[in-house]
Amino acid sequence: MADEFTPSWEDVAQRYGRKIYNFAYRLTGNPDDAADLVQEVLLRVRKGLSGYRPGSFEGWLWRITRNAFLDGVRRKSRRPETTLPEGDHHALGSSPSPDEVLASVRLSDNVQAALLKLPYAFREAVVLCDVVGLTYDEIADATDIPVGTVRSRIHRGRKMLRGLLTWPV
Amino acid sequence: MNPLGREELFSAFLDGELTTKEAKFVNEILAGEEEAMEEFHGIQQVRKALRMLPDLEIPGWLLPDGHLGEQLSSYLDGELSAAEQRRVSDHVIGCADCRAELHDLDRARIAVRSLPGVETGQFDQIPVIPRSRRRRAVAVGSIGIAAAVAVILGLAFGGQQQPTISLDDLTTQHIARASAEPGFAVFPAGIEISAP
Repeated sequence: MADEFTPSWEDVAQRYGRKIYNFAYRLTGNPDDAADLVQEVLLRVRKGLSGYRPGSFEGWLWRITRNAFLDGVRRKSRRPETTLPEGDHHALGSSPSPDEVLASVRLSDNVQAALLKLPYAFREAVVLCDVVGLTYDEIADATDIPVGTVRSRIHRGRKMLRGLLTWPV
Repeated sequence: MNPLGREELFSAFLDGELTTKEAKFVNEILAGEEEAMEEFHGIQQVRKALRMLPDLEIPGWLLPDGHLGEQLSSYLDGELSAAEQRRVSDHVIGCADCRAELHDLDRARIAVRSLPGVETGQFDQIPVIPRSRRRRAVAVGSIGIAAAVAVILGLAFGGQQQPTISLDDLTTQHIARASAEPGFAVFPAGIEISAP
């Protein structure tokens, strides 16, 4: 996406905060870590906007997000924690039946648990594609890897998930 | 093309990331190979499950105009995780609205907790679990929280005289009313108190 103007950090928070939160939550399965990442990204955006030159804003933002996430992972690597998915209790939605809710929670818990078992590179590619909704080109831009590698990681990530998930779910 | 390379086209096909020529190639594979079709359906199923993951709502306080709401009560009661406590402290220091709400909640909380104990009389035999055993861990954390709240509220409202509620006055009024109005009951109608 080529933007003509530079948004304020408040605009970024309103427009992308939720996507960043979902990205981080799906990568970590932990709401605290997801909230930490959103704060860190918004802080970096606030500091970095003055130096931003109009271009691919989303590419710039997701590079910041990814770097912030990896920095957080490195900081925590000396004191690793077990992160368990807590369920999607704060998910939005209309008013499905209790059975639908239970089936949906079971499915999302299973998928979330399986995601956490993927090696980071594959998890990241799958989440950026299927959760955040970026195109392969945008993922390549954000992660600084060739599009061919993105394609390979997404497919291999999904293939691994297929082996991890119990069907039918 | 090796089998893995071919399979990679399946995901890209589903994502609409192939050229017309590549898409045609995938269609030909799927039309002629049952095993490939099975693999394709497996990937399709996983992709669908991923895309059905709920779109989670970002906590409101992370947004520029977001406030803490019910998190403030949990903060006062020491019911948040260490990370959440830190975030609430940071937010309250920079947000006048949440500071004011925290102050009001703290006053209400103190007033409720200062209510006099009820004379239990014949109910003295009822075993009571010591409060210190129930919430020992929280109590330790609450010392720090109480100190933090005091600092935050001190910063925000230092020098202001806040009206105080005299519990003695309330008790005296209650006793006087009960004496003057024979029908005035401590407990609402319909509730009977009987010995155990």
